[in-house]
Amino acid sequence: MRERNAAWFVRRAVLLVLGLVWLIPVYLLLVNAARPSTSYDQSKIWTPDTHLGLFDNIRQGWDSAGLGSSLASTFLYSIASPGLAVVLGAMAGFAIAVLRVRAGFWWFMLLFGGTVVPTQMLLIPLFLGYSSTDLYDRRGGLVLIYLAVSIPLAAFVMRNFFTGVAYTIFEAARMDGASIWRVFWRVYLPLALSALWAVFILEFAFIWNDLLFGLTLSQTDTVRPVMTALSSLSSAYGGSTIPVVLASGLVMSLPTVLLFLGTQRLFARGLALGQF
Amino acid sequence: MSAPGAPAVAAAGARQAPGATAPGARPGRRRGRGNWTAIGFLSPAALVVALLLYLPFLYTVVLSFTKYDGLSSPQWVALDNFRKFFSDPALGSSVRNTLMWVVGTTVLPVGLGLLIALLSFGIRGGSGFRLPFMLPYALSGAGLGVIWGFILQDGGAANDVLGALHLPGAHTDFLQHWPYNTISMIVAWTWQQTGVNALLFMVGLQSIPKEPLEAARLDGAGGFRLFRSITWPLLAPLTTVVVGLALVASLKTFDIVWVTTQGGPGRSSETLAVTMYRDAFVSGDYGYGSAVALVLTLTTAAVTLAYLRRQVKTREGLG
Amino acid sequence: MTLVATAALALTACGGNSGSANKSELKLYNDKGAWKPFFQQLGTMSKSQIGLSVNPVGYTDENTYQAFIKASLRTPNKPDLFTWATGGQLQDLISTKQVADTSSIWSDGIDKGYLPKNLEPYFTFDSKQYCVPLNVAYWVMFYNKKDFAAAGITTPPTDWNGLMADAAALKAKGFAPFYQTSILFSFVWFQQLLIGTDPDLYNRLATGKAKYTDPGVVAVMQRWKSMIDQGLFADPGSKEQPADQMKSGKTAMTLLGTWFNTSLVQAGMKSDSDYGMFVVPNVTTGASKTQVAFESGPLCSLAKAPDPAANTKFMKWWIQPDAQSTWANSRKDVSANPKVTIDDPALNTVAQAATGDQVTLDNRYFDATPAPILTAALDAFSGFLADPSSYQKQLQTIQQAADEYWKSN
Repeated sequence: MRERNAAWFVRRAVLLVLGLVWLIPVYLLLVNAARPSTSYDQSKIWTPDTHLGLFDNIRQGWDSAGLGSSLASTFLYSIASPGLAVVLGAMAGFAIAVLRVRAGFWWFMLLFGGTVVPTQMLLIPLFLGYSSTDLYDRRGGLVLIYLAVSIPLAAFVMRNFFTGVAYTIFEAARMDGASIWRVFWRVYLPLALSALWAVFILEFAFIWNDLLFGLTLSQTDTVRPVMTALSSLSSAYGGSTIPVVLASGLVMSLPTVLLFLGTQRLFARGLALGQF
Repeated sequence: MSAPGAPAVAAAGARQAPGATAPGARPGRRRGRGNWTAIGFLSPAALVVALLLYLPFLYTVVLSFTKYDGLSSPQWVALDNFRKFFSDPALGSSVRNTLMWVVGTTVLPVGLGLLIALLSFGIRGGSGFRLPFMLPYALSGAGLGVIWGFILQDGGAANDVLGALHLPGAHTDFLQHWPYNTISMIVAWTWQQTGVNALLFMVGLQSIPKEPLEAARLDGAGGFRLFRSITWPLLAPLTTVVVGLALVASLKTFDIVWVTTQGGPGRSSETLAVTMYRDAFVSGDYGYGSAVALVLTLTTAAVTLAYLRRQVKTREGLG
Repeated sequence: MTLVATAALALTACGGNSGSANKSELKLYNDKGAWKPFFQQLGTMSKSQIGLSVNPVGYTDENTYQAFIKASLRTPNKPDLFTWATGGQLQDLISTKQVADTSSIWSDGIDKGYLPKNLEPYFTFDSKQYCVPLNVAYWVMFYNKKDFAAAGITTPPTDWNGLMADAAALKAKGFAPFYQTSILFSFVWFQQLLIGTDPDLYNRLATGKAKYTDPGVVAVMQRWKSMIDQGLFADPGSKEQPADQMKSGKTAMTLLGTWFNTSLVQAGMKSDSDYGMFVVPNVTTGASKTQVAFESGPLCSLAKAPDPAANTKFMKWWIQPDAQSTWANSRKDVSANPKVTIDDPALNTVAQAATGDQVTLDNRYFDATPAPILTAALDAFSGFLADPSSYQKQLQTIQQAADEYWKSN
């Protein structure tokens, strides 16, 4: 019994200590984002300022970067692209794992290989292609590229998810006369709902934070995603002070943080539901 | 900071443990009409990926055999760029740093993620204990570069903390000298990625069936022995996935290095992806940069292929 | 597939891509993303004065920006107006024959006194002018007045020995005399010491007529190293913003372009009372005039721009005092137009000095040096700052890149 107690204690102690270490950078972020814009001093980064400057900093960053005009389209990209990606990824995973397409491994590699190509090198050819197809500076164009970069992960997760689902389910449904599409849409997709959510959340976070595609493939303020505006705050030529940069970054991470925290339970539980 | 799928997000999902109920007989490979149906399900995803990721990359492949400044028309130079790349004096350090990243990120964030998952699995308030590790992923993007600048710079927060604890390193200029710069950036990356890996391992732990664990417990196994003989083997498929994805991400390490040191000082912390960006975009030598990109991509593809092939074999052997 | 296609169709309907000639709104592509509010202010002003509004499209990463603009020349999505860099970058761009000739704007501007004669050469290729100055900045020394007072310095130095003596006095009081960084702006002191010693060598270096391993260049590196050895610089590995270092007073002097004034004001410092500026004296008295580095971002238009006439109209408006006064003073920076009065007296004084008869302007190293050599040089200088004794090796590394470049250009 004593041994149990020792283990009980050690487990929590290790987690607590490591957790506190992990929170140090978060602490620095919060303390310095909350400092009034003009009272930042490198030698005092550990000490909170007595005056709360957080909201002024946010307002200042918001105004000078013009963050507001980008929000609507950023939400569109971060929701529409992963939403489509999980469906297309699930279809691909279903084809490989359940329908057992021939050369399934190579189909899988074809999709997953999308993560292997270096993103930076895609920008210019994509811009050229987008220009000649009138996708440049279109919200649809951005949804499309974000969809493409989201598919590999979605396909990977869904393939592995469906591999674990008993094949008898497929057979039973087919026996009842359901079409393959119906089996997928009505049986497999609902089964995978939580896994779909998990992929969606991770890809939401990625797209929300993307800068490169947004900068290269759009020009209008209302089409460009929010990170393109946010990044202008940290520049040698007229950039903002450190507290403003941090506070604006903080407020722009809120949607991701909220989505992430709000779904954390679902997340852990959801992925595990794939057992049959 | 990283491409989706690249860092440590992985296939979780359901896994059959050895000895668990068989998932039902599988049909043979599809033939004829059945296979076409399967291809129909695959093709939207495949088409999007091919058109938006592979097709643009083809442009890079072609450019890698040319000299191109982005303005005048590209001139065919055959293998010159590759020759130049393999004789670049900084290539050695670039490869060395990339290898450090590969080893570092497949050990640290994966190992710590596993530790945190194991420790917090099944305890009351486990998700509360995991919260600090999850925050960095949600916060990624703006601000993190600034914060890690605070911490790692000369006389920065890391020096403060080490000094206060009377540990060595209080006066080390972490970003100024190799290997400290690469190592300290791997630490920063570990901070960001551990939580996601922990979460994936949690999922893996939850999908382990209870029966073998109970049986082993009844046999008197516990603690490390239980982990080694039961948990670890059952977790293996997921571990392979997490490690495999960490491999892809580490071979392509770019953002964190570019934001923190730009590969310096004196190119000492450059990775292959930084070399690629530097040559293509900073020097405006797009042909040469494309050649670096091609070498990097082929290497990453080969490593990924080897890994995933193994993973699939493991699974088929089990299933 | 239908899903994607429908979604794509539905979504291409939104988003704006204005086309056709006779524009009333111009897009101004720029790599100075943080200047967005200032561009917008000017856009509102030009709309009311000449009926042309201007909207900035800002980038923050110069490298991606340049790659993007180059690529856009081959597409129908050509920018209306865009910013660029002087030196080799501008020359390369002009050699494509796609940039609009602005000779008439220049001759008219010089006649009216709107554009300074001494900037003209940097915008001239084959005796024609291209683009107009978007901004101009002189590289001068900003100094913290409290630190100077604490070290017993009453007036800024007027010669090199004076500067060194002041630096020593500041160091004795515990201040870091000069700001220095190993990221991006690692070239600043190389540039200053070289133009202050041998401006001719500086220019020959930029055009491949001299080598980085020449004795004159080596001597400059040795001087720089000896200044580092004397402890005259702040830590180059600090990531603390130069404005913050100046504000806390920990660093007494910062050598940067006059745009740095914007950052000091934002950090909450007051010009003239908290800090001042002076032109850095030459190291040696060899050159008859004081050498000052300057930078100017060209504002360019394409010959085949969507509406070339509108662009010309805007650029003519842009250089005149009314527009320039707002542009400079809202950013707390100087203007390329000599007729503009700068509200900030300290800035005005230093701008007068930099454009006066006693000064020769040298194009900033960052713009004067061809990109592949610059890339190697910035890395080499940062390597030097991490290990000052390595200067010989670093110069050789730069020269290798230079040899490679000049072989084929």
